[in-house]
Amino acid sequence: MNDRLLEVRGLKKAFLLKSGVFGKSTGLIPAVDGVDLDVSADETLGLVGESGCGKTTLAKLVLMLEKPDAGTIVFEGKDLRKARGKDLRKIRKGMQVIFQDPFGSLNPRKRVASIIAEPMIIHTMGSKKDIARRTVDLMEMVGLSEDMLSRYPHEFSGGQRQRICIARALSVNPRLLICDEPVSALDVSIQAQVINLLVDLQEKLRLSYIFISHDLAVVGYLSHRIAVMFRGRIVELSDAHTLFASPQHPYTRCLMESVPEPSPQRTIRKNHVTGNLLETNGDDLQKGCPYSPACPWADGQCIAETPELVERNTGHFVSCHRHR
Amino acid sequence: MDTEKQDAVTHAPVSQDTGNGDLLIIEDLHTHFFTHDGIVRALDGIDLVLKSGKTLGIVGESGCGKTVLALSILRLIPNPPGRIVKGSIRFQGRDLLTLTEREIRQIRGNSISMIFQEPMTSLNPVFTIGSQLAEVVTLHQKRRAGTKAQAREVAIDMLKKVGIPSPEKRVRDYPHQLSGGMCQRVMIAMALACQPMLMIADEPTTALDVTTQAQILRLMNTLKEETGTSIIMVTHDLGIVAQTCQDVAVMYTGHVVEHAGVEAIFSCPLHPYTKGLMQSIPRMGEKVRGTRLYAIPGNVPTARNMPKGCSFNTRCPEVMEICRQETPPPFRPEPLHLVRCWRYAP
Ligand SMILES: Nc1ncnc2c1ncn2[C@@H]1O[C@H](COP(=O)(O)OP(=O)(O)OP(=O)(O)O)[C@@H](O)[C@H]1O
Ligand SMILES: Nc1ncnc2c1ncn2[C@@H]1O[C@H](COP(=O)(O)OP(=O)(O)OP(=O)(O)O)[C@@H](O)[C@H]1O
Ligand SMILES: [Mg+2]
Ligand SMILES: [Mg+2]
Repeated sequence: MNDRLLEVRGLKKAFLLKSGVFGKSTGLIPAVDGVDLDVSADETLGLVGESGCGKTTLAKLVLMLEKPDAGTIVFEGKDLRKARGKDLRKIRKGMQVIFQDPFGSLNPRKRVASIIAEPMIIHTMGSKKDIARRTVDLMEMVGLSEDMLSRYPHEFSGGQRQRICIARALSVNPRLLICDEPVSALDVSIQAQVINLLVDLQEKLRLSYIFISHDLAVVGYLSHRIAVMFRGRIVELSDAHTLFASPQHPYTRCLMESVPEPSPQRTIRKNHVTGNLLETNGDDLQKGCPYSPACPWADGQCIAETPELVERNTGHFVSCHRHR
Repeated sequence: MDTEKQDAVTHAPVSQDTGNGDLLIIEDLHTHFFTHDGIVRALDGIDLVLKSGKTLGIVGESGCGKTVLALSILRLIPNPPGRIVKGSIRFQGRDLLTLTEREIRQIRGNSISMIFQEPMTSLNPVFTIGSQLAEVVTLHQKRRAGTKAQAREVAIDMLKKVGIPSPEKRVRDYPHQLSGGMCQRVMIAMALACQPMLMIADEPTTALDVTTQAQILRLMNTLKEETGTSIIMVTHDLGIVAQTCQDVAVMYTGHVVEHAGVEAIFSCPLHPYTKGLMQSIPRMGEKVRGTRLYAIPGNVPTARNMPKGCSFNTRCPEVMEICRQETPPPFRPEPLHLVRCWRYAP
């Protein structure tokens, strides 16, 4: 495919676990452990996986907020680690992000108007007047009213703050928007508005999204393809429909079964896998399939060898020794 | 503080026996913020009942006052600009609003504990999570207070319970070294350690993946069954409400617009706003790309453009003339079903 926007190969990042502030290191956490990923123009790639599996770290690596230990990231044909000057500025403008924690990412001492305008000023996107007008448009677009522009972030609810983040990210017309839990602070009604908004914007602006969320229904609704991560690796990748219709990896199935159904008559299926999963010491695992300690189908091979991510059917990648 | 009652009518919702079975009764609670833009009536006359040993779900649009309600119960509203201007919050028979600062501090973290919505900003960045957990243990569980090493053991045990891998190593981490979901689990561990009478959980699992979420919800449920803890579950995830709550209160612009048992809320929602919420849920695997999700039209009114009458009238598909004139009082079309909507006027 030629309209490939982002290409990630062999990406790795490990963090040191330390004792105390100056203490000796007590281990390594492979937060992102060899990830390959492509995002095309117009595409939404969903990213799901357990808490702490490396989704945010992956996003930060792509955004150059963290330095990778290994691997390459190519955005619009340019290698991120080699880009300088004008190219680098273009890349930075082309990729925007909305983070998980809307409060931490808004400057508490600035009014909403200048928070939204800031990226436009940095990237000199027109006169003061143009920027002011666009700020009002953006506020409206995300469902906030103009009279809130002079307020400070703490005067908004969590969900309202998240919409401010979306407005700010969209202000510089990015090609790729990385959304890290962008709607998890929103109630279903506003969530529906924001999701519809993201879909509209994608069509209008040819935006691509990497959409990180724990809500499988939302990810399924928005994504063309979905990648399932576990302990720093992608364990399954396929188009959204196939993933829901026939999940292959045991972890993917476990995820699907854990979703609380919005109906009091149907109860959460209690699967033993969940329980085991949480007691495993993922950080200590050196070789073998990272899911093997929790997997009811694991055998000798799973404990000895790490499975590769292989294409089972066209476009459907699974990393599992069993379930062929 | 103005504690005088507006009228003699008690709206004590849902529960009919206002006596023994109720742990918490909130009546006509008003919490306002006095900002440079004017008064924000974050809570504008809240009535709520929480029964002993039950879980009450609180749902509603972002900004409708759920967090302010939780903070009001604990009297943690920042003043200025905020103030509880009216109402009562009776907990085990005592009005929390009349307690001294010392007395309320006794209650916080002992009888009532809270899991905050934004864990990253609630944990102290300069202490390890182990020392923060140990502090909770020694502060609130005096019977277990012991040596430093013992407190550390308990901290590790708590981390294990909430599913943090390698807890022996993780106790020495600082909050910034943990993922969002891990911080959230640390907060949950702290709240659980206190074994409170009432646990207020403000979006406790929003930052967690579904498998961890299922584990945490089960943990909270176990606590409820073993120690009889009542839970207020603030969430916008109607799946969680369906799976964990017995009663539900739906909030809109500082009002409880519907309050009923969980079955009733899901099988026959009455308030047009609740109906809208139910329709907006994306269902797993049912999506068809290209179709749009139902979203309630319009926006939540702000303090400045609050309409006259029912605050939902600008977005309501079932609006009537009276809705634009007068604020609906709570009606009771069923004995245990309370709704603030003129459609249900007797
Ligand atoms: N700055 C850091 N120092 C040390 N460890 C870190 C740092 N940032 C992340 N980690 C670790 O890397 C792993 C992956 O973290 P990350 O934030 O990417 O997870 P996540 O998938 O986004 O989780 P969540 O769904 O909870 O947000 C975790 O074990 C985390 O503790
Ligand atoms: N410190 C404050 N100063 C001024 N207004 C405030 C303050 N805190 C909250 N508010 C206002 O009170 C209202 C209720 O806010 P609250 O945080 O309770 O919403 P919420 O229902 O918890 O929303 P969310 O689901 O987004 O967390 C909002 O309109 C908010 O703007
Ligand atoms: Mg994250
Ligand atoms: Mg809130």
